[in-house]
Amino acid sequence: MTSVPLVSVFSADDSTKVTAKHIPLPAVFQTPIRPDIVSFVHTNIAKNRRQAHAVNPQAGMQHSAESWGTGRAVARIPRVSGSGTHRSGQAAFGNQCRKGRMSLPIKVWRRWHRRVNIKQKRHAAASAVAATGIVPLVLARGHRISQVPQIPLVVEDKIESYEKTTDALNFLKRFGAFEDVQKVVSTKVVRAGISKQRGKKYRVRKGPLVVYFNENAKLLKAFRNVPGVEVVNVTRLNLLQLAPGGQLGRFVIWTQSAFAHLDKLFGTYRYASVLKDGYQLLRPLLTNPDLARIINSNQVQEKVQPAKTTTVLHEVQKKNPLRNTKAMDRLNPYARKQRAAAIAAIKANTKGTKKIKKNKALKKASRAAFNKVSAALNDATNAAVQEEQDIKVKYFSVQKGAAQAE
Amino acid sequence: MSQKKQQMQVEQKVPENVAKKTVRDTKLREAVAKRRTERLAANKTRRSQWEKNGQAYEAEYKAAEKGLVDNIRKAKSEGGFYVPAEAKLILVVRIRGINTLNPQVRQTLRLLKLRQLHNAAFVRVNKATIEMIRKVEPYVTYGYPSRTVIKNLVYKRGYAKVNGQRIPITNNNVVEQQLGKCGIHCVEDLIHEITTVGPHFKEANRFLWAFKLRGPRGGFIAKRRSFINQGDWGNREDLINDLVKRMI
Repeated sequence: MTSVPLVSVFSADDSTKVTAKHIPLPAVFQTPIRPDIVSFVHTNIAKNRRQAHAVNPQAGMQHSAESWGTGRAVARIPRVSGSGTHRSGQAAFGNQCRKGRMSLPIKVWRRWHRRVNIKQKRHAAASAVAATGIVPLVLARGHRISQVPQIPLVVEDKIESYEKTTDALNFLKRFGAFEDVQKVVSTKVVRAGISKQRGKKYRVRKGPLVVYFNENAKLLKAFRNVPGVEVVNVTRLNLLQLAPGGQLGRFVIWTQSAFAHLDKLFGTYRYASVLKDGYQLLRPLLTNPDLARIINSNQVQEKVQPAKTTTVLHEVQKKNPLRNTKAMDRLNPYARKQRAAAIAAIKANTKGTKKIKKNKALKKASRAAFNKVSAALNDATNAAVQEEQDIKVKYFSVQKGAAQAE
Repeated sequence: MSQKKQQMQVEQKVPENVAKKTVRDTKLREAVAKRRTERLAANKTRRSQWEKNGQAYEAEYKAAEKGLVDNIRKAKSEGGFYVPAEAKLILVVRIRGINTLNPQVRQTLRLLKLRQLHNAAFVRVNKATIEMIRKVEPYVTYGYPSRTVIKNLVYKRGYAKVNGQRIPITNNNVVEQQLGKCGIHCVEDLIHEITTVGPHFKEANRFLWAFKLRGPRGGFIAKRRSFINQGDWGNREDLINDLVKRMI
């Protein structure tokens, strides 16, 4: 199972039998995948099915409420007039009030629909069709296609004449598409929220999309009741079905005539579309997406300049050369010799010095001299002190004598 | 039997891209290896040159010191005085902050590379610079730096201005790239140019970013007064070395 530029058409009755071999892929499948265009178009087109709704214009406003003004120790919000009921004097009208009208009530003349440029819509559709032919995208979207013999799956027109649902189911089973249907069935959930009371009880996944060509095809009724399966005519391909939720890669089952019609619908890169007036398929930005090959080609490599090398100008951390010998050596290789010479000089200086011997005789003599001097000093101070004492005694005794005399 | 062997020896098919890339890569690798050997050889010669220069400068400095001492002694012995040449180089240190500055003073400090408190810069002495310093005297202190101070400043606080960026001088490539054409190839050359105020002093000084010093350990005396008046600002001649040693 691969996405191929040549496609085989399978027999409706037997998935192993191929009725037509090597049909070229229509040019649509080669258009660039533009998820940006698809998501833009999808978000806008999805709004076009909306029905206008609005809030009752009178909701919350059917009172003769008036503000009581200031000076009554209440907020200035309009209050319901009258008396005799709880409601009287209660706040009204404001969006913040209970039973009040909502802020900015929804109007019917809200702009519900969006217009999108036709070209954009067409490009989106083409991209979405191209994405249906890419296996990883279809798988990523969540379809169970591991048993499908080919993507894009093209089947002979016989299925267009199916009337019975059993035929449809058996067909799907034969081609490994039933797994996708089973997924839809098993994941049918009751919707969360109020919508279930408004007619949208279940959330159902999308299954295969069957695309047919002949208007009188009966397969619509055959596939109608199969959960998840949608049927659409190739002339009315819908982006909302090809890329549900804006997500590319729907699992599509084409009938042979529908598949053949795609070239007329979207045109090719050789000629513009026949049915979409003046529409030309998007051209890819790169015609050769093999970048490795382009880069390594001789033509490119000849012109290419050698890769710039980042020259580191300085070490990341500055080390102090005055303390870090490696840092100093980096800057000044002579410093090492200088330092060695200095150390050698110090050693040489200290080598010659002798240890000073203690001269004991000298020590004794100096000590004796010192003692002599200190003794003399002592005597002198004692003498001085004694003299002062004598003077004091003399003075006081004189004083006493004088006092006694008086 | 041989046919089977041939069949078993499957031809090693290499993707075209891979083959081209391996050829390219081997060529590049060879070129890189060649450049490396050349660079290493060049580095060896460069380093030996730096060493020689360092040795030569040491001899020069010693000779200069000895010469000064000899001259003084000689003059003394003849009963005269030896007046050494006036200083050619001064080290200016900014001691005032950025607030409330006279615009001319602000501009002059900027011209002297002293944009920040405790920034220091070397300045050549000539009439022009003397006038500039006179203008900013109360905001700076300056003096005649000794050789060791110059050396320590450049090694410890030495940053280069390279393409308007402040790049640490961690190896001589920085010096070589910027000042190679002035004949200054290593840091010792740079220091020599600064101390002797050589012919390329301007380039060497421009190369150096202003030294960002720390505040002096032990503090200033009184920044509000001039150095002569028991303060700090103005010319303090040789005593700048003591200050800067405390600020380095």
